[in-house]
Amino acid sequence: MSVSPATVVLRNVTKRFGEFTAVNDLSLEVRAGRIFGLLGPNGAGKTTTIRMIVNIFAPDSGEVKLFGKAISPATQDRIGYLPEERGLYKKMKVGDQLRFFAELKSVNGKEADLRVDHWLDRLKLSQWKARRTSELSKGMQQKVQFITSVLHKPDLLILDEPFSGLDPVNVELLKEIVLELKASGKTIIFSTHQMELAEKICDDICLINRSRKILEGSIREVKRASSRNAVGLRLEGGAQVLADQSLIKSIERHSDGIEVLLAEKTNPQDLLKKLIDGGAMIERFEMIEPRLNNIFIEKVSEAE
Amino acid sequence: MKKFFAILKREYFQRLRSRMFILITVLGPVMISLFGIAPALALRIKAGGPVRIAVIDQTGKLYQGAYRSLMDNAGQPESGQDEITAAAPGKNPSERFQQLGEKQEGRYEIEEVRLEGRPLNAVEKELDRRVLAKELDGYLLLPADLLKDGKAQYFGRNTGDVFTRKFLREALSKAVRQQRLAEANIDPRIVQELSEPVQLEALKVSATGDGVRDSGEGFALVFGAGFIMYLTILMYGQMILGAVIEEKETRIGEILFSSVKPFTLMMGKLVGVSLLALTQLAIWGLALVAFVVYGVGMLAANGMTLNIPHVPLIHFVYFGLFFLMGYFIYSTIYALIGSMVTTAQEGGQLSMPVVLFPLIGFYLFLPVSRSPDSSFAFWASMFPFFSPMTMLVRIVTQTPPLWQIALSLLLGFATVALVTWLAGRVYRVGMLMAGKKASIPEVVRWLKQP
Repeated sequence: MSVSPATVVLRNVTKRFGEFTAVNDLSLEVRAGRIFGLLGPNGAGKTTTIRMIVNIFAPDSGEVKLFGKAISPATQDRIGYLPEERGLYKKMKVGDQLRFFAELKSVNGKEADLRVDHWLDRLKLSQWKARRTSELSKGMQQKVQFITSVLHKPDLLILDEPFSGLDPVNVELLKEIVLELKASGKTIIFSTHQMELAEKICDDICLINRSRKILEGSIREVKRASSRNAVGLRLEGGAQVLADQSLIKSIERHSDGIEVLLAEKTNPQDLLKKLIDGGAMIERFEMIEPRLNNIFIEKVSEAE
Repeated sequence: MKKFFAILKREYFQRLRSRMFILITVLGPVMISLFGIAPALALRIKAGGPVRIAVIDQTGKLYQGAYRSLMDNAGQPESGQDEITAAAPGKNPSERFQQLGEKQEGRYEIEEVRLEGRPLNAVEKELDRRVLAKELDGYLLLPADLLKDGKAQYFGRNTGDVFTRKFLREALSKAVRQQRLAEANIDPRIVQELSEPVQLEALKVSATGDGVRDSGEGFALVFGAGFIMYLTILMYGQMILGAVIEEKETRIGEILFSSVKPFTLMMGKLVGVSLLALTQLAIWGLALVAFVVYGVGMLAANGMTLNIPHVPLIHFVYFGLFFLMGYFIYSTIYALIGSMVTTAQEGGQLSMPVVLFPLIGFYLFLPVSRSPDSSFAFWASMFPFFSPMTMLVRIVTQTPPLWQIALSLLLGFATVALVTWLAGRVYRVGMLMAGKKASIPEVVRWLKQP
């Protein structure tokens, strides 16, 4: 159905490690120029899936296609990969290190130097260029690692938990860069278990749990398809109405109000009317879009 | 190919720049020469003054001869060989003896004690007292029938000084022998001439028909080459092991494997570290050559000449080839071990047996050199783990047909490629299995993975 061509296509991909099935019959499409969220709890099979895309593992069955072709060393150069488990050569100077990784992706000579300088500047690391990597803070090392994944202007950028361990300022900085890359037509796979983040930047998502896909589509579709019907409330009184089990399924209390999950057939308008009739003082009443986190928890518990 | 060079460059320059490398490069020759020179130096150190020895000569004939003989270093061993060092052929023996004698004079002081009517006991008591008072180090008692039964006694404070004991024994033997010859009216010089040993010259039969003189230098060189090979494997094998494990301990492997083929990675590491090894060896080699050239020059200036070993040029080419092959075979084994383990300690333990293989190659030297054209020698020189050493032995003893040498090289380098490929595979899957050591069945399963 997708209009834009798929950058990555997985068809019925299965990967086992001995008795353990890490990825089970997974099919998905990552469309070009979009940010694709690969979501799931720890151990769901995200990293194994990514490793098959970057040609570290071969699937036991099924096929993986990149840019419309089978995986090959040539496709590897078009991918930028920021693995979850970070690793840099501790004793190498930052500049040398980045140059080395550029060369590994077939960027050589002057061009490599230029790009290294550009990115160090962009991530505010220029003055660290001649320092050993081990002298950098963890957050700075993470930014260096990020640079290694974008130096060669990859068409497909795969970020596995890119923001973990970064302070909010740097999270914003990286997010900005990721969105810029998307604007310039790059495809991005963003793997995380932090749903709030995924919700903010992903266009499409695929939820996997226990090696199986349980949900996919654009964020909007996913939310629309969700049966969740929630209202955020801050009010005084109305306790009787809220206690009515035929109207309300559950209530979640927050510091500045409550979140009410409506029963399947309840119309939010009816609830508002009943509350007003019941004499409640309403300070806030808003429809809450279902959050990915909630959808996720719901779907996972449904599947089990 | 560019990626291969990127890895090679990194491995090479990162290590080259490390302080450890520079330190070892500089200190290596110093240490080696220290180990070489230290024993010689230690023997030179003669703590205390000269050894003072008194002689009681009851035969009445031996003292003069014994004194001369002692001061002459007692040099002549029984057989009468006189190749003591790189000898100067121009000089006649007596001159040389004088030189050696001069050397001895500072080290021994000999005095004769005559009985002059006193009983032997009293003289001995007196001498014992002097020995204990440290006026003497010891005394020699030459009984009257020494010339007949060849028995003498040495009383000393330090009978553990084996050098002095040996020295005295040889000097006395010589003096007694000369005295006996003199009493039998035989000129000692005639005896020496008559007991000259035979000089056996070994000539190698070659296809061209002219015998090539072979005095065993070739064999010595092979042994030397083998030894250097062994040391190199020991030294740099560990370095390869470290290089392969490095990414595991830092988790860089994932990025590497998403960028390069495992084989390229392994080859890059292997060649990078090997070039480093060659760099170090070349530096040491040049230092050694400079040292030797200087040393030979000094000897030449002092009128000494040294025999340059006679080895055909082609043998050096073979040495080079088989050295490289042997080095690479064992390095790849280290790389394979490195790919199977997760930490350097584990790697160290697993690599212990590897050290034994080249030793077996050494043991094969003898049987192969005895019958270099036997089928045993043939197979020994084809088996990749031993061929670097055994084939060299065959080449210098009885050069096998070219096809055999080529086949041996081919098998060796094929092994290198195979093991490198294997190591690459095992490394890739093994390292991503998240820090757990691989069992053999697991390794086999990894290899089957596409």
